[in-house]
Amino acid sequence: MLWLVLSILVLGALTSPHYLSALNIQNLLRNAALVGMLATGMTIVLVTGRIDLSVAANMVFSVIIAVVVTSWIGRELGLRWIVKGNTFAGSPLIFVVISLLTGTAIGALNGIGVAYFKVASFIMTLVSLTALRGLSYLATNGAPFYLKGAFFNWLSDQLWLGVPVSFTLLVVLVLFADAFLSRTVAGNRLFAIGGNETATLYSGIKTNRYIVASFALSGLFAAVAGLVFTARLKSVEAALAQGYELTAIAIAVLGGVALAGGTGSLWRVLTAAIGFSAGLNLLAIWGVPTWYQNLAIGAVLVLAVSLTRLNHKN
Amino acid sequence: MLKFTRRAAIGGVMSVAVFAATQGCLTAQAHAEGVHDVLNGLIASYSEHAKEGMSNKSVSELFEKDGFRDYLDAYPVGGLADGFVWKPGMGATFTGPYSKLEIKAPFTDYIPLPEGPVLDPKKTYKIGFVFHGFNHPWLISLADTAAWEAARHPNVEIEVIDAEFDDNKMGQVIDTWVAKKYDGIVLWPSREAPMGPPVDRAIDAGIPVVSVDRRTSSEKISSEVLGNFYANGLQEGLYLKEVLKAGNIVLNRKDLGSTADSIRTGAFLEVIGNVDGFSIQGNYHTNSQRTLAFQSTADALQAFNDISVSFNTGGEEAMGALDAIREAKRLNSAPDGKKIIILANDDAKEVLKEIADGNIDMVSPYTPLIGDIGIRAVIKHIGAKEGLNEAPPKLIMTPNLPMITKTKMVIEGVETMTPDEWPYAYGPAVN
Repeated sequence: MLWLVLSILVLGALTSPHYLSALNIQNLLRNAALVGMLATGMTIVLVTGRIDLSVAANMVFSVIIAVVVTSWIGRELGLRWIVKGNTFAGSPLIFVVISLLTGTAIGALNGIGVAYFKVASFIMTLVSLTALRGLSYLATNGAPFYLKGAFFNWLSDQLWLGVPVSFTLLVVLVLFADAFLSRTVAGNRLFAIGGNETATLYSGIKTNRYIVASFALSGLFAAVAGLVFTARLKSVEAALAQGYELTAIAIAVLGGVALAGGTGSLWRVLTAAIGFSAGLNLLAIWGVPTWYQNLAIGAVLVLAVSLTRLNHKN
Repeated sequence: MLKFTRRAAIGGVMSVAVFAATQGCLTAQAHAEGVHDVLNGLIASYSEHAKEGMSNKSVSELFEKDGFRDYLDAYPVGGLADGFVWKPGMGATFTGPYSKLEIKAPFTDYIPLPEGPVLDPKKTYKIGFVFHGFNHPWLISLADTAAWEAARHPNVEIEVIDAEFDDNKMGQVIDTWVAKKYDGIVLWPSREAPMGPPVDRAIDAGIPVVSVDRRTSSEKISSEVLGNFYANGLQEGLYLKEVLKAGNIVLNRKDLGSTADSIRTGAFLEVIGNVDGFSIQGNYHTNSQRTLAFQSTADALQAFNDISVSFNTGGEEAMGALDAIREAKRLNSAPDGKKIIILANDDAKEVLKEIADGNIDMVSPYTPLIGDIGIRAVIKHIGAKEGLNEAPPKLIMTPNLPMITKTKMVIEGVETMTPDEWPYAYGPAVN
């Protein structure tokens, strides 16, 4: 994967004077931050042998609920946290906390449905996806909320040593998530569940609570992705980010995560997110129409999955 | 509190003009020449009446619930740039670069640019045109006109990208063009709110940006080429009021919160808000999709046996509604055996055929053939930046167009046109 990223960067540098410009690399990393966060959450679920199709809907819904609840709190406190009718200008701290709690709670609900009510994860999260989209429309009446304030500007535009804050945040989160997955008992148990759930259960591990935790973490990452995503657009509305769950799955697969569960590395997924964004960015720099871009993504995915399977065989 | 605004002033002046017109002081030729102003006058007049109150409870409840007043008050209504007067028959004819269809674009003489090199002939100017929907006839026609205009100027290179209805992707495309140091950007945003920040970033980088048809939330944007949504909804109401005094209406609307829905539906409700006989029987959001409009109309036909009117915010919706009505064999099932009146927007060729056949009753043209204006505007902005010419206005209103009906009518001073008089219809030909 690292070779693929380096190849894209070299190809970009050779074919366009703009590809390695600071501005373009920053754009590329901002995009990688968004899809990387979704893919990281997705990976945590995938290693248990499940799937979470609700990540993109959750990403938007958690921000919408944060706006709605924070503005209600503002009203109760006699503060105008919604101005001009639909512009959020409230407390960013409360906003962030509510958003993260909402995302995590939605994830946990998915997990409870999957683990305790034995609903197939595909069905459970597909239902969630549809329900969250509907609820988002109900909560907004189809209209946008504008997000104004220093916090959103900082999250969207701020650079640390030339690197966008959002990407730095992704790296920090991956660092923690990878430490959790690979260096804690709980994390290892998620892999065990994905590898052989029956054996894990018979060894006395209460698998249900770990499955719920994995979905909750996926929801948490979706909420963080939502903050990054909407800060960049300075707004949120129900119709945003349709189909992004498929991008998250694609990047996880590209990063070598097995859909059957049991294997996966978050660092590889992070590299895949960078590679995916770098590749798309290169096609955009070349002026390739979006249909061909989609075709290229499909071809690269098939190739990546095939190579992964060959590696496993060997 | 009394407020004197430009819009109120225009409205007042136009209302006088309309009054004069209805008194027979203006000839039919004058209507044709001044249709833009006549319709603006009617917009001002009906808007004022609606603000004073709506006597129709069913209409006023929906108007209040969906907050149409906020949208309508924010939507600009005004004169054309440089005193341009549009007349039927104006415009160039060409083959669409993408659709390969014969196109007659109505506004190629608006903010004109002569064919040949533009600005500094030694320079090549790179312009990005980003929109959504190479799979939609209206949007392909929009791209056709943009590409046609660029092709008229040998030192203009255009890159056309379809962002596939993904606002974030459109933002990324704009960011990429900023990184590539393009000279100008033209966009068709699906939604206003998310496209403000990328436009602002481009403007901050010194790149002129022009939006066509729909607006963005950017206050810095160089120009907005605005469609005539207000006149669309207004004329649907005017026609209905002219041919019917009472009846149940089923609405097929676009996405809640979209400019097209809020302005067209809002303007329609403003016109019928003081006609007590009308009642909103069904209210659906069919999001520009024919299949959804078919389904909602079929459901309404199942639920109600006394529908008089099918109001549609777009041509796709109107075709879906008509298909459902025809399939149910209910075209003439309005009370007293009358035909269900079908109101439409968007002058696609298939809609015009249905008007000629007497199935759809009227259409307010909403031409997609305005991409060329966006390209010319952005070129002029680039020229202004280089000190070569004056910048075009920030708000570039497109001319209000008269409604199309099967037979000629004069409705409140507006002379309608018939399908065979309308050369600007877009989309594939229909036999």
